[in-house]
Amino acid sequence: MTPVRTWRPLLALAAGLGCASGAAAQACGEALGPGTSLVENSGYVVAYRTEPAPVAVGQHFAVAFAVCPKGGAAAPQSVRVDAHMPAHKHGMNYRATITRGPDATYRAEGLLFHMPGRWDLTFDIAARNTTQRLAHAVEVR
Amino acid sequence: MKRWKRIGTTVAVAAVLVTAAAVAAQAAGDAPRHVEFTPAEVAAILALGPPPAPPRDPTNRVSGQPAAIAFGARLFSSLSLSSTGTVSCATCHDPARAFADGEAQAHGEGPGERNTPTLLGVAGQRWFGWDGAQDNLWAQSLRPLLDKTEMGGSLSHVARRVRDDPALRASYEAAFGRAPPSRDEVVAVDVGKALAAYVETLPFPRSTFDDFRDAMARGDRAAMARYPLLAQRGLAIFVGSGNCTMCHGGPRLSHGEFHDVGVPFFVAPGRVDPGRHGGIEKLTASRYNLLGEFNDDPTRATAMSTRHVAAAHRNFGEFRVPSLRNVARTAPYMHDGSLPTLRAVVRHYSNLDENRLHADGERILRPLGLDKYDVDALVAFLESLSPPLPPSR
Repeated sequence: MTPVRTWRPLLALAAGLGCASGAAAQACGEALGPGTSLVENSGYVVAYRTEPAPVAVGQHFAVAFAVCPKGGAAAPQSVRVDAHMPAHKHGMNYRATITRGPDATYRAEGLLFHMPGRWDLTFDIAARNTTQRLAHAVEVR
Repeated sequence: MKRWKRIGTTVAVAAVLVTAAAVAAQAAGDAPRHVEFTPAEVAAILALGPPPAPPRDPTNRVSGQPAAIAFGARLFSSLSLSSTGTVSCATCHDPARAFADGEAQAHGEGPGERNTPTLLGVAGQRWFGWDGAQDNLWAQSLRPLLDKTEMGGSLSHVARRVRDDPALRASYEAAFGRAPPSRDEVVAVDVGKALAAYVETLPFPRSTFDDFRDAMARGDRAAMARYPLLAQRGLAIFVGSGNCTMCHGGPRLSHGEFHDVGVPFFVAPGRVDPGRHGGIEKLTASRYNLLGEFNDDPTRATAMSTRHVAAAHRNFGEFRVPSLRNVARTAPYMHDGSLPTLRAVVRHYSNLDENRLHADGERILRPLGLDKYDVDALVAFLESLSPPLPPSR
């Protein structure tokens, strides 16, 4: 399928979430280079960018991301990346695999948005027996 | 981003050109012969083309090679590959019927339970078969040779026929540059790859809609006006209120994935067709998927979808969203061939019984609630996705 769709980050989603703005947030993910989007909650900042960018509907893409604890939060023990469409109440048909790189960076591969519309890209960060979810809405056109 | 900007520019130019032509036509007192599409609708319409060109397949080392295509064409009509010598690929994929068979359900060596899909434009799909049990065209081409209800053969039978038939043997040697090896499975997979090389050469036919879509891209009002007004109104429903492009979008008019659309999947009392759920099980168990030894792409980058596909409970009863290109020539419809006409398909979605959906909470489909005029319009649009029929004598 010709990649004719694109997506753009929207506002962060869930209550308590917001686009990161502090110095710590700005520093997060510097190793990823320019073009990252930031999302944070009280415990973590996630900086990410997709490869390719923009993402085309029906085409696999990867997410390069960094997870930065803040306010004394523990370093993540594991992270998971997923996505779902709130309006349709379904997720992706693919499960991303995660590999860890240097400097608290990760790479998720195998994601695919198979329909146009709003998708919530989610980062589940597990540490100290709890899991926190950070989500970012993207619009696939 | 550059690509999107280029497409966005094309949409803007098309919208401006179409609008300017409309103003000029109205100033001249001409009656409108087209639907006024919004910029968003223009973008959605332009995204439905052009028809995708058949791609080369990096997982098949003989893809695109003339000798393999010729061998595949010979195999395609060869009855000797079936166990009884009475069935060929062309029995169900009849070239005179758009490479389908016109029957509700396939019948080869025995009765099947699913509708025979067309082969036109099939190259380049991510998944093959109604359940997506194959992730590549050569495995999909090999599968019916071994299925007891289709051609009923076996790896050894296929290999023996190639070794023992002088014409097939010569064609094999021309295509693969060697004599058929002793390992039956290798010969049979090569047969699948030759068949795939041939099937890849069967493109989507250019449709009446494609002419309209390209005229819109050029801002060619006169050419657009040759597209029937009823089809234009159906197109407006398709990309607008009907939201059909959610699944039937892009140049292929399918996103290539799987959904439950409320078609019953009982195939016999107490027995169901599991659809995608069973397809994923077969895919992961197959020796011929793209993670296996027969993938000719040494990088295995082509196995991305297979490596990451996720099975879910909701896959039960889901079937692959078919392309709508040339759809008027491939009746009957749905995975079980249960709907005989395009009008029946449109009415199915218009009166959809949501209680029949087994979507595990998924909320995509709603009854369209079309009136008779809307049904006529959508049918006219769907019919325009095929080439015009030759004039009758």
